Amino acid sequence: MLIALFNILIFPGFIFLTLFGWIAEYIDRKLCARLQNRMGPPWFQPFADFVKLVSKEEIIPEEANPTMFKLMPVLALTATVTAFFYIPLWGKSALFAFNGDLIVVLYLLTIPTLTYFLGGWYSTSLYSKIGAVRSLTQLFAYEVPLLLSILAPALLANTWSLSEMAAFYGTHHWYWLFNLLGFAISIIALLGKLEKVPFDIPEAETEIVAGTFTEYSGRLLGLFRLSIDIEAIVGSALLAAVFMPFGLGLPPVVGFALFILKVLFIICLLSILRTVFARLRIDQMMTFCWKYVSPFAFLQLLINLVLKGIIVK
Amino acid sequence: MTEENIKDALIKKFSLPEGKVRIQRKRRMSAEVDRLKFKDVFEYAITELKFVILCTITGLDEGSNLSFIYHLSTEDGIVLNLKISVPKENPAIKTIIGYFPAADIYEREVMDLLGAKVEGLPPGNRYPLMDEWPKDAYPLRKDWKQNKTKEQEAKNA
Amino acid sequence: MHKVIIPVGPQHPALKEPENFMITLSGEKILKFSARLGYNHRGIEKACEERTYIQDVYLTERICGICSHSHSTCFVQAVEEIAALEVPKRALYIRTLVAELERVHSHLLWLGVAGHEVGFDTLLMYTWRDREVVMDILAMLTGNRVNYGINTIGGVRRDITPEQSKEVAKATNTLEERTKYYIQIATKETTLIKRLSGVGVLSHDDAIRLGAVGPTARASSVDRDVRRDDPYAAYGELKFKVITDNHNDVYGRTLVRMGELMESYSMIRQLLKNMPEGPIAVKAPRKIPAGEAVSRYEAPRGEDVHYVKSNGSEKPERVKVRAPTLANIQTVAKMLEDRQLADLPIVIAAIDPCFSCTDRLTVIKEAGVRKNKVMSWEDLHDYSIGWYRERGIDFAGLNKKLTRMLK
Repeated sequence: MLIALFNILIFPGFIFLTLFGWIAEYIDRKLCARLQNRMGPPWFQPFADFVKLVSKEEIIPEEANPTMFKLMPVLALTATVTAFFYIPLWGKSALFAFNGDLIVVLYLLTIPTLTYFLGGWYSTSLYSKIGAVRSLTQLFAYEVPLLLSILAPALLANTWSLSEMAAFYGTHHWYWLFNLLGFAISIIALLGKLEKVPFDIPEAETEIVAGTFTEYSGRLLGLFRLSIDIEAIVGSALLAAVFMPFGLGLPPVVGFALFILKVLFIICLLSILRTVFARLRIDQMMTFCWKYVSPFAFLQLLINLVLKGIIVK
Repeated sequence: MTEENIKDALIKKFSLPEGKVRIQRKRRMSAEVDRLKFKDVFEYAITELKFVILCTITGLDEGSNLSFIYHLSTEDGIVLNLKISVPKENPAIKTIIGYFPAADIYEREVMDLLGAKVEGLPPGNRYPLMDEWPKDAYPLRKDWKQNKTKEQEAKNA
Repeated sequence: MHKVIIPVGPQHPALKEPENFMITLSGEKILKFSARLGYNHRGIEKACEERTYIQDVYLTERICGICSHSHSTCFVQAVEEIAALEVPKRALYIRTLVAELERVHSHLLWLGVAGHEVGFDTLLMYTWRDREVVMDILAMLTGNRVNYGINTIGGVRRDITPEQSKEVAKATNTLEERTKYYIQIATKETTLIKRLSGVGVLSHDDAIRLGAVGPTARASSVDRDVRRDDPYAAYGELKFKVITDNHNDVYGRTLVRMGELMESYSMIRQLLKNMPEGPIAVKAPRKIPAGEAVSRYEAPRGEDVHYVKSNGSEKPERVKVRAPTLANIQTVAKMLEDRQLADLPIVIAAIDPCFSCTDRLTVIKEAGVRKNKVMSWEDLHDYSIGWYRERGIDFAGLNKKLTRMLK
């Protein structure tokens, strides 16, 4: 019981995720800044931002529904942290595992987007509402390719459990190479999920101020920011677990270092991508996701089905 | 078409007095016309003399009259300053948005700043003064002083 | 989806200057666009009448922060014409040199802003870094990064030394190389092109009908440029092409500005090479004889027009300014027809608006209608709610609608 509590609250739970989230945010911001010929923030900036936000006044719009308005950041944070427990990190099994946890993780990772929508909708500001509608519209564009591309490796492993997938790829060493197309697709989808350029449409600053978060301030905004940081870690960890299942079962310290490296690799990839593109329009994103990304996700699915028929018996 | 040609054409067509059409320098001309003749001269300048660009409209306060200068230009850079005067008591001019839709904002400007009455201009946002600006205060008139409107002066007197 | 009206400005992240646009949206689609100008009225035209000519040179320079040289040159030219001053050639060359450097800095600034408006911040960071090169050159030549203060009636205030002209030539080479790189980005980067082409279309006929000026007009293949059509300063002796484009959209406007940058570099080289020797100013009288003059100037944003009327005293009788943005802002409504909300910032930015130049005169104190008063935070809050309510935006109503929908 005590160990479970320690796992949930401290390691590899909430505290670890928070710290890692800040480090990842710092690396993302610093790398982006260096790529843009800027100095970038000092290493403690994400932490300082959080402290500043938490110590600031919280303003809730008069017209907003206070319960929903306050509940949403907490819900977003809880969902992302929960999802993390089902992802195998360096061992061959996650903290908690059951058959079907892959689906649960994907659904838990959808909840933050839903909270952005509800939070924006209930803050009743015009900009928030447009941002809210946009984030929901965007959800339909990237969620399908993400689901399909993660489904494909699971199909190959013949399981719905992330831990069993890890075990499968642990014994079939080079099979993860078949899933590279899916990896590329899920990176694109993750950009959309994390609302980063070129898919930062729901919070497009020059159009709708801060979108969903326009009316949020103080602690609530701090929580939202934190949940976005953690979502980036959890999303990257999921991708690392599904698409880079190598080196699992190494001794704890080495395995842990490898896990960190994998996640940071994905974080850096996302950071580079967000530096080199301009923001798309929502209609352009829909066309892009449905016309190009989804068919490729299907292709990956097809490849894995064929492979399963031929090699894996 | 040279400046001389334009001058001759204007004088001949509308029998304007000699001094009213002047060539100030190369590519700069000015003409003063009666406000009743304005519409014809204006139309003639645009269609026949090819003054197809409207630079802007300037309003002037000349004592008992308000004058309006329409700065027109040809594609070759010849500028014609077409000037009309109207009495200050009834500073009514006709709108030219039929010829230049872009003139809308210039006309609103002279309305706000000099109190011109532009006939035929559809209602719209005022420019450039704020909505709460008093009705009879026209900052570019010479008798306007900051912080003193007619209302206030009447009160003081 | 029902219609909503969203306010963009007077304070909004897309606008760096206060101006108000009301956009009626149905979903993401723009149904109606209306602009309310005038937030930046500073009373410059009236203030000019109350100051001497030499003070007005500096005042007109402060009409705009970016094309400051444009306004002061335009004003000075008009005054010189009235006073029949023969400005020395060298002065004209220096004026033109600063003018072209200013165009370079303004166009680089625009490219960065355009990048920012479509969410391409990397472009913003890159162009603004390179813009520092030209800003440094301007600071070296004139002593200031903005509001150069180089013009005076009858000439310029600072001479240019051979060392300085070497520095300018060196900087021009650097900038030319960088600009070539940006042209490559603008013509090859897919997401950028996707956001720019086909957006904010202004047909050739509409551009002429609505009186567009500058790059906005030239991108709709309207072949007008005051530098060539009505040459002033040293432009009559320079060789340059007027860049036009037939894309009619924001992409075209980008290409025109990039092309103009390249032309500017060539002009700067010609100016440095052919710079005549001689004095840099003639003495101007304090009292300017009665007369009037219209002066035109091709500012980076388009044609700038000043009208000056003098009455024989040391103060002008009337100064009238028409900034290029005022001519261009009226095309925006046309460009936004049937477009999406996401296109709004870039379409507005594509005319390179400069609202401070557009709105020139306001009185800081309310004109005696009410006494000046201090507004508390609550007063301001109520005032703003009332202000929006008058314009049909009612948050209270929105909430009621929402509760009704949820029931």
